[in-house]
Amino acid sequence: MSEMGTIKDMPANDMFVSGHGACPGCGMAVAVKNIMRILGADTTVYVPASCLVVISAMYPTSSFRTPFLFTAFENTGAVTTGIRAAQRRRGLRSTVVGLAGDGGTFDIGLQALSGAAERNEDILYVCLDNEGFMNTGIQRSGATPFGAWTTTTPVGKKVEGKREFKKDIMAIVAAHDPPYAASLSIAHYNDFIKKVEKAKSKQGFRFLHVLTPCVPGWRSDSSMTVEIARLAVETGMWTLYEVEDGNARTTYKPKAMLPVTDYLKLQGRFRHMEDADIAQLQEWLCAKWYLHYGDEIEQPVCAMLEKGKRMRYPHEEQLHFV
Amino acid sequence: MSVKVISGDHAVAYAAKLARTEVVPAFPITPQTLIVERLAEFINDGELDADFIPADSEHSAMSIAIGASAGGVRAFTATSSQGLALMHEMLYAVPQCRLPIVMANVNRSLGAAAGIWVEHNDSMAERDSGWLQVYVEDNQEALDATLMAFRLAEDRRVLLPVMVCLDGFILSHTVERVEVPGQEEVDRFLPRFEPCTVLDPAEPKLINPIVPPEYAMEMRYQLDRAVDRSREVIAEVDAGFGKAFGRSYGGLLDTYRLEDADFALLTLGTATGLARAAVDELRSEGKRAGLIKLRFMRPFPFQGLREKAEGLKALGVLDRSVSFNGGGPVYTEVAAALCNVPTIVTGHVAGIGGRDIAPDHMREMFALVERAARGERVRPVTWHGLRGEME
Amino acid sequence: MGIALYEVRFHGRGGQGAVMAAQTLAEAAVIEGMHAQAFPYFGAERRGAPVTAFARIDERKISIKSQVYEPDLLVVLDETLLDVEPVARGLKADGRAVINTRRLPTEIDLGVEVECATVPATTIAMEHLKAPIVNTAILGAVVRMCALVSMESMREAIESRFGEKFGEAAARTNVAAAAMAYQQAAVGRCKGERPLSSREEWLPTWQEVPIGVALGEGVKGGVTVGPGGARRNLTGSWRVQTPRYDKGKCVRCLRCWFSCPEGCIKREEDDYVRWDLNYCKGCGICAQVCPAKAIAIIKGGQG
Ligand SMILES: Cc1ncc(C[n+]2csc(CCOP(=O)(O)OP(=O)(O)O)c2C)c(N)n1
Ligand code: SF4
Ligand SMILES: [Mg+2]
Repeated sequence: MSEMGTIKDMPANDMFVSGHGACPGCGMAVAVKNIMRILGADTTVYVPASCLVVISAMYPTSSFRTPFLFTAFENTGAVTTGIRAAQRRRGLRSTVVGLAGDGGTFDIGLQALSGAAERNEDILYVCLDNEGFMNTGIQRSGATPFGAWTTTTPVGKKVEGKREFKKDIMAIVAAHDPPYAASLSIAHYNDFIKKVEKAKSKQGFRFLHVLTPCVPGWRSDSSMTVEIARLAVETGMWTLYEVEDGNARTTYKPKAMLPVTDYLKLQGRFRHMEDADIAQLQEWLCAKWYLHYGDEIEQPVCAMLEKGKRMRYPHEEQLHFV
Repeated sequence: MSVKVISGDHAVAYAAKLARTEVVPAFPITPQTLIVERLAEFINDGELDADFIPADSEHSAMSIAIGASAGGVRAFTATSSQGLALMHEMLYAVPQCRLPIVMANVNRSLGAAAGIWVEHNDSMAERDSGWLQVYVEDNQEALDATLMAFRLAEDRRVLLPVMVCLDGFILSHTVERVEVPGQEEVDRFLPRFEPCTVLDPAEPKLINPIVPPEYAMEMRYQLDRAVDRSREVIAEVDAGFGKAFGRSYGGLLDTYRLEDADFALLTLGTATGLARAAVDELRSEGKRAGLIKLRFMRPFPFQGLREKAEGLKALGVLDRSVSFNGGGPVYTEVAAALCNVPTIVTGHVAGIGGRDIAPDHMREMFALVERAARGERVRPVTWHGLRGEME
Repeated sequence: MGIALYEVRFHGRGGQGAVMAAQTLAEAAVIEGMHAQAFPYFGAERRGAPVTAFARIDERKISIKSQVYEPDLLVVLDETLLDVEPVARGLKADGRAVINTRRLPTEIDLGVEVECATVPATTIAMEHLKAPIVNTAILGAVVRMCALVSMESMREAIESRFGEKFGEAAARTNVAAAAMAYQQAAVGRCKGERPLSSREEWLPTWQEVPIGVALGEGVKGGVTVGPGGARRNLTGSWRVQTPRYDKGKCVRCLRCWFSCPEGCIKREEDDYVRWDLNYCKGCGICAQVCPAKAIAIIKGGQG
């Protein structure tokens, strides 16, 4: 197959078909549909407990035209390991892909993920990150950002939303030194396509981390899903990069950092946030921004924050960005 | 065939190797470790062509086995106690997906007030998972039962996972004379694995999506029937094994000097050997004692038990596990099976937490059962070897 | 007021508040000194998908916990559901219905001819709540249709349930929506012409279910099953707004094709696109990502 780089190069054949039960405007459905287009028919899918399994695989039908298996929540790294071992022994080349949520990856599935990454299993692990346990009705996960409302981080009289910052799963995965790990956005089409294609073509453990806005969970308008994903990148809430054989490289750099409020204001889950909390989030973002993009160019948004620049990002030592 | 002096764990490992297992995911736990270590050696020495996958936990080990089995290859794993409990969630997926995984569970006490010593609570807690469960008496049976487990599990009429349970240390770490069959003999007995459903893009299958109430009940009943029907195949496989290797075990249950017995004890696992000796002793005293060796806890031999109990005035049931405030799980099931026959059933709890079951305990049990057979009132359940009067 | 067991079935879409409506009705009945229960059909429905909820009211303690098969009252929060599923199935011949619609009862074909109240609950909700959450508006019409509970108790119930969850202001606006619906409801008899057959389903016996919870592609009992079989779910029925494509403006960038969560935008040979509205849920992403403004979103499911 010729190398894909743009939407036009993508196969038009849907392996994740219409008729699934996702909410109108679901970002995860956008990601899965396109990932499956690129992976094609020679793919075997494992989905753990998550929105995805419920919306796409209800007996007696599924939305996946490929082989499909589901068993539990925390074992994506393990079940895919077993499938791949069996298929290799049977002489099949099929891409074995696990499509897991952030809860199934950051939290309960972290151990099985780490095991598979450490053993460098020949599987593609995709984390569909909607920043919460959505299937069970929007509870916080390790992926939920600071300040966000969820049903388990309610906006109370004393505490307003989540108090912890988002876990850096990419750094955790990168610490296993896998052949390939990349973060994707559904709003950055060509970057998305190239990374899925690259992940497909490589051998060994590959990890794709996709930001997938969730309409009810983020309390956003169904039409704004892609725009929110775009703003996540432009504000630094999401960074597009890849780690290939130990080298980290940002694949897209926004021209200038937009203030985080541009991102927050489109989502009801942040509506309650007060200035102090927004400033705290902005500060965290500035540190993350300088880590990924370098600090030669002072960002006006961050210049106001004295501390921002000096704060060290926790995984700075581990990840070497080039 | 060759004769070896090996531990129960190694006997299991030899069986898994002779079965040409293809994927072995494993996580270590005493007293199971000798099994997976030996298999790792077989693989690294080129004696077995298989993938050894060092899983990050037992939960993952079973998940990997599920993936491999659904992917169409023969999968084997082994665990014990806490490891089995950690697998619990995944165990339930296997029978309903009809994946013929074989697993050895080296019985060991579980939870608190526990150590690494034998007790059956770990596997008894999984008896309603849909796995078939066989308990073995010695190392030869450990090897033979494991080989039979593959044949049984993969039989198209069965297609269910099988758990081979062996007593921790008493078998796992005890060496005995074991006849290890030759590879060709085994290949004749155990055909190549022909999976029934395979995850293969050439013929896409949807396996185990969410199942709504409109379908789940029929599936569950189907599984219930499959477990029940496996009884016939167990008998068949046992007979076939006898023909091939000259050893057979009676299928679901075996008996010893039961024909004209007035009273008998029902045992499973290694306690059976001790009970045999006790029966001989009683017989030499002219007492009509007998023994029922329960091999399979699932499928449970409801009918077989009723047949064997005919003529018995009393049957004692030995449990190496506790079903709190109800005696032991084997006792309650045997009592349920015999609820419409006149035989009195008594419960006997012994060997808890790895405490040795001594010949004296065994005599005490038989004595109680004999009294029950004479029409004396005895406790429904007695703990043997317990310090302090029972309440 | 003394009543024997009275059973209510609500039909709505995920996000419309059918469950909350059932709970509020139950609370109003309890306020009146009766016994009541309310519960959803325990499914895994997402926003927009058809959902069902139930309520039971009785003078005496209610011991039944099964679903409602023969309702005395049917409440339909979304009129498009009438074309999607046999909502009136089992409705008692002397039963009643409340339907969210702009049309009059006589213009509605429910499939069973019964006393019926219609109310433009969506319009009322938009006016009072600025969102199409129609559950409180419809409750006003429920009170009007059958004097099960008084408007006074209903107001109290709304204040309690909504006030607790969303604050005092929400309680006030919801009460106002209910009051307006009570006023605006039109009462009459609906038509009973449409057949109430349910969609074809494959319901195998235990002997017929393929083993291993496994299915290949195929047709069983007239129904597509297995991988890709989800195509039989025509999710276009969820739609409340519809894209309109202006091919003349299209620059063939295919962003809409990439961004559509449903995969209902089809790519032609020449990279122009067309919609398979059988699946379009009307999310509006396509219009939002189109750089040429070639897609507009218009109100209404029929487009
Ligand atoms: C062991 C276990 N604990 C809890 C659950 C309940 N559960 C199912 S899906 C889910 C949340 C999934 O969250 P995530 O992985 O982020 O996927 P999402 O639904 O958000 O796409 C939870 C908590 C479960 N299925 N298994
Ligand atoms: S809850 Fe969120 S992730 Fe789940 S289907 Fe709806 S939009 Fe998608
Ligand atoms: Mg999630």
